[in-house]
Amino acid sequence: MYTAIIFLPLLGALIAGFLGPWIKDLGAQLVTCGALLLSAVLAVVAFVEVAIGGQPRTIELASWITSGSFDASWSLRWDTLTAVMVLVVTVVSSMVHVYSIGYMSHDDSKPRFMAYLSLFTFAMLMLVSADNLVQMFFGWEGVGVASYLLIGFWYHKPSANAAAIKAFVVNRVGDFGFALGILGIYLLFDSVSLDVIFAAAPEKAGTVMSFLWMEADALTVLSILLFIGAMGKSAQLGLHTWLPDAMEGPTPVSALIHAATMVTAGVFLVARMSPMFEYAPTALAVVTVVGAATAFFAATVGTCQNDIKRVIAYSTCSQLGYMFFALGVSAYSAAIFHLMTHAFFKALLFLSAGSVIHALHDEQDMRNMGGIWRKIPFTYAMMWIGSLALAGIPFFAGYYSKDLIIEAAWASHSGVGHFAFWMGITAALLTAFYSWRLLFMTFHGKPRMDQHTLEHAHESPPSMTVPLAVLALGAVISGFVGYDVFVGTQMDAFWGASIKVLPENNTIEAAHHVALWVKILPIGVAAAGISLAYIAYILKPELPAMFVARFRPLYLFLLNKWYFDELYDWLFVKRAWQIGRWFWQGGDRAIIDGFGPDGISMVARWCAGQAGRLQTGYLYHYAFAMLIGVVALVSWYLAFGG
Amino acid sequence: MTELLSEYLPILIFLIIAVGLALVMVAASFVVGHQRPDSEKLSAYECGFEAFDDSRRQFDVRFYLVAILFIIFDLEVAFLFPWAVSLGDIGLFGFWSMMVFLGVLTIGFIYEWKKGALEWE
Amino acid sequence: MDTVTTLPVMMPAAAEIFLTVVGMVLLMAGVFRGEKMLKPLAWATVAAFILAAGLVIMYGGTGAAFFGLFVTEAFAQFAKILILLGSGFAILLSLGYLKSEKAGRFEYPVLILFATVGMMLMVSANDLMALYMGLEMQSLALYVIAAIRRDTLRSTEAGLKYFVLGALSSGMLLYGCSLIYGFTGTTSFEVLAQVFAADSTPSTGLIVGLVFLITGLAFKVSAVPFHMWTPDVYEGAPTPVTALFAVAPKVAALALFVRVMSEPFGDLLASWQQILVFLSIASMVFGALAAMVQTNIKRLMAYSSIGHMGYALVGLAAGNEAGITGVMIYLATYIFMNIGAFACILAMRRDGRLVEELSDLTGLSKTHPMMALALMIFMFSMAGIPPLAGFFGKWYVFLAAVEAGLFGLAVIGVLASVVGAFYYLRIVKLMYFDDAENPLDSKVAGDLRLILYGSAAVTLLFFLVISPIYDSARAAAASLIGA
Repeated sequence: MYTAIIFLPLLGALIAGFLGPWIKDLGAQLVTCGALLLSAVLAVVAFVEVAIGGQPRTIELASWITSGSFDASWSLRWDTLTAVMVLVVTVVSSMVHVYSIGYMSHDDSKPRFMAYLSLFTFAMLMLVSADNLVQMFFGWEGVGVASYLLIGFWYHKPSANAAAIKAFVVNRVGDFGFALGILGIYLLFDSVSLDVIFAAAPEKAGTVMSFLWMEADALTVLSILLFIGAMGKSAQLGLHTWLPDAMEGPTPVSALIHAATMVTAGVFLVARMSPMFEYAPTALAVVTVVGAATAFFAATVGTCQNDIKRVIAYSTCSQLGYMFFALGVSAYSAAIFHLMTHAFFKALLFLSAGSVIHALHDEQDMRNMGGIWRKIPFTYAMMWIGSLALAGIPFFAGYYSKDLIIEAAWASHSGVGHFAFWMGITAALLTAFYSWRLLFMTFHGKPRMDQHTLEHAHESPPSMTVPLAVLALGAVISGFVGYDVFVGTQMDAFWGASIKVLPENNTIEAAHHVALWVKILPIGVAAAGISLAYIAYILKPELPAMFVARFRPLYLFLLNKWYFDELYDWLFVKRAWQIGRWFWQGGDRAIIDGFGPDGISMVARWCAGQAGRLQTGYLYHYAFAMLIGVVALVSWYLAFGG
Repeated sequence: MTELLSEYLPILIFLIIAVGLALVMVAASFVVGHQRPDSEKLSAYECGFEAFDDSRRQFDVRFYLVAILFIIFDLEVAFLFPWAVSLGDIGLFGFWSMMVFLGVLTIGFIYEWKKGALEWE
Repeated sequence: MDTVTTLPVMMPAAAEIFLTVVGMVLLMAGVFRGEKMLKPLAWATVAAFILAAGLVIMYGGTGAAFFGLFVTEAFAQFAKILILLGSGFAILLSLGYLKSEKAGRFEYPVLILFATVGMMLMVSANDLMALYMGLEMQSLALYVIAAIRRDTLRSTEAGLKYFVLGALSSGMLLYGCSLIYGFTGTTSFEVLAQVFAADSTPSTGLIVGLVFLITGLAFKVSAVPFHMWTPDVYEGAPTPVTALFAVAPKVAALALFVRVMSEPFGDLLASWQQILVFLSIASMVFGALAAMVQTNIKRLMAYSSIGHMGYALVGLAAGNEAGITGVMIYLATYIFMNIGAFACILAMRRDGRLVEELSDLTGLSKTHPMMALALMIFMFSMAGIPPLAGFFGKWYVFLAAVEAGLFGLAVIGVLASVVGAFYYLRIVKLMYFDDAENPLDSKVAGDLRLILYGSAAVTLLFFLVISPIYDSARAAAASLIGA
């Protein structure tokens, strides 16, 4: 069963991908959805056995690489962390699969799409169930490839291709860090097996290794390298630029990859490596600061975007920031808890947005929406649930997880913790604001689309609404159902050995005992954010324009996402072009080609021409050549002796 | 090596003298003789009567064929003489060896006969 | 003086004797029944080859016949099987051609049969006389086959050129043999080996003789600079004959070369290694360069085979067991690639007529996808791209050269194969990336197709059987110079 959960999606992907032309669209959809649903059901069973029942296990599949002391095998590590991740991935993925049947109904290459989705799911499952770092890297790169394929799914659109390449390249930067981290870990621990690393981590604390011409604490360096990998995948500040562009992919892709699963791989990685991060306090501080900064940064940008999916994308970025600073203050379980609730409500938001887009004939710009809540009431309701959960309104899922993170940041009583706390509070205000801005702009006010589109606006088919309902259920109840086991009283028993927190870092415990104002503040700012959005977009719609006029530089700064893209373009892309041109023109063409292939081929061609001319066709020339050959050979021997 | 070559020294001397003598004779006729060529003198000499054709003309390939066939059977006979002389010494094996040899040649003979190589027309 | 009255041992030569008798019977059958016998004779010859192969396997174990003039061992067995394979396939390739070109003569299969007997005798020769006899038996038959279409200018020209130059080389070889006999007093390989084992500093006269002998053999394997006949003869001879020339005589001549160099003259390695290194480098480089400018595919195959012989000589130049193993593997891969490639050439017809220009292949992938695929496999294999058959041949000979310390030779060989890859890939490019202006006939004869796909499959899947082939090649090499 445990193996089947992981490999069913692969089976589905192979069947849909290679047999697509034969089994037709419907066949591909049935196979992949069936495989995923089955996988999800099994994942629930596995979750009950492994996490609730407390029976972690490791399943050895095959030996992969054995070379000297380097030993990596294919094996599935099933502990609570894996079970949670597998549950989230399979449930959200199966919902997205079903949803895609409706959403992609007008597309020409459905089998390919379903195959990619399933392939992605397989890679993600491989990542979360890896028992060693190399296998994890395999899954890590696998999701990268699948994500590339999915973002560029509409390969006839240049923007989609550019976005796919951008996502791939930016991720490469992170992956380089991850790969270096793995190499370094192998250097330090002489193993890539997680068990060995975790067992040896305490005694390696304080070891020094040389890195970039300086001596540094080994665990800190390695942890930061791994974190760079996590930053790339999870779109943290600095390496976040690909995520909003990735919205070029079909909306189910955004929901699955860029909200619920792949981008959380970084969070998972840090949580998985918690036994190592715990001994690297500096690295944890870095994680906290980057996470907090991302949460704030993305929230500010989110307030000014007009593309409905980009708003949600920045929201994702921001929420990932929350998860990271939770990790940074050692509240790993809170981070994973938020990861789970976020997966539900963010997938819900994305899919609802997809439903809106579907209803409005692929319109994504919120400035061209408005006033359609009567037309698509169900989607409207779903959007509300998602936003309520996102903003952390009490008793929705986000409330439990997000507030706990903010409290944990406060409870850590460190400088970076307090920085994270205030950033988190600000981001919560902004989150509520942009969420309701989105709601109001999309569903309320005067319709701003053309008449034709408005008339044809329609509710989505059941294949799309049913997954929405399921996810909405998750967005509502996953919070209070999971609270006790994930971060509450049964926390320690639940997580077992899969997460390690040093006693002095137990911020979750402390978070339950913070002052009342800390607990209330997030709800307060959320309410304030909602009110602000209501004032700005319903009561006084002219207010945003006034704001823009007054603070134009700030607005542009936010609209252009803090000019990150421009900065990178100037700093890296242009330089890379220059260096590339220089190598191409100077190095490759002049030197290497000139003396290499081009030069040699010219010489070879000349020789060939000469060789051809020797062949005159005259018998006596041939005989003469033979005689010369004999004479030459004989003279050679007579002269130089045998 | 030198020993080997020294045995051939007389031949070398002979060759040098022969070549040298021939050269001297030809050269002397050029140097000493009067050269007054006319068309009669330069035409081909054909024992008394006028030359009526180019002497380098093709002749029938069948002459070659007959010559080649002759050589084969000539050699066969050339092998038969020593064989017949030593038949007493080489015994039954020698006898049958020659029979096989003759048999093979006979097959060749049948082939050429059937192909018409022995017909002139 | 002892008289010989008992029969000599003959069983090791059973296959050759059998083939000779069959040849004479078929000749008589043909001459009495006329031209309509061509097809039955051809099939009878193929059947005789199969039986002969069986005899080779049964009686070809270690042994000597005819008072030591004829020897056989695993090495000879291996080479003879390859020769029979090559000759057999050459006959099969010819059937359609002879019919369509109305060039059928019943002598054709019989001549191939006699040539094959000659080749087998060459492989088993254990004496300079036996060597010469086998060589001439092969050559005479091949001269005639090259000119079998005596009504066409090109075929007669090819036959004549082959004959004159072949006679010249035979003369050189004989002269070499006489010098060797003169300086050692024997023609037997075994005695020669004993002589050189006792004294491995040869006299100059002997070296000159050896050089002449090597020259004669180099002519037969068409090694540069004794290769000049090859392109003209390949181009002029009828295509199935070219296929035969490219395969069986090459195997025989190279096997003979290997035997002569390693058995009687094995102890003179230091003397002949330099010549072979030179021949092999010259062949590899020249074959690769000259092939680049060819436009006729048969000429191209000629230069290709010159190059291939160069690679095979690398193994011989190494002069060790690994080298001979490499040569045998190289030959095994070589015959399949060549048979397949010539099957392709024979399948190139337009309006019922054979065409043989490279430009006729343009766009083949669209009109004949399977044939293009097969030809691509052969080209890639000849270029030595793993995991195809050709790669293994090159791999083992280069390995042997490195083992023998001939690093320069190995490096030049690899470079030459890079240059050589150019013209093989050019064919692939023509087939796959250019558009056909004038497509070839769509119908390809069934037997050709069978040979084509069969040899493509062998070339493609050679890596599956590489270990048994390697083992038998190794055994062959060991039987020759081992122990």
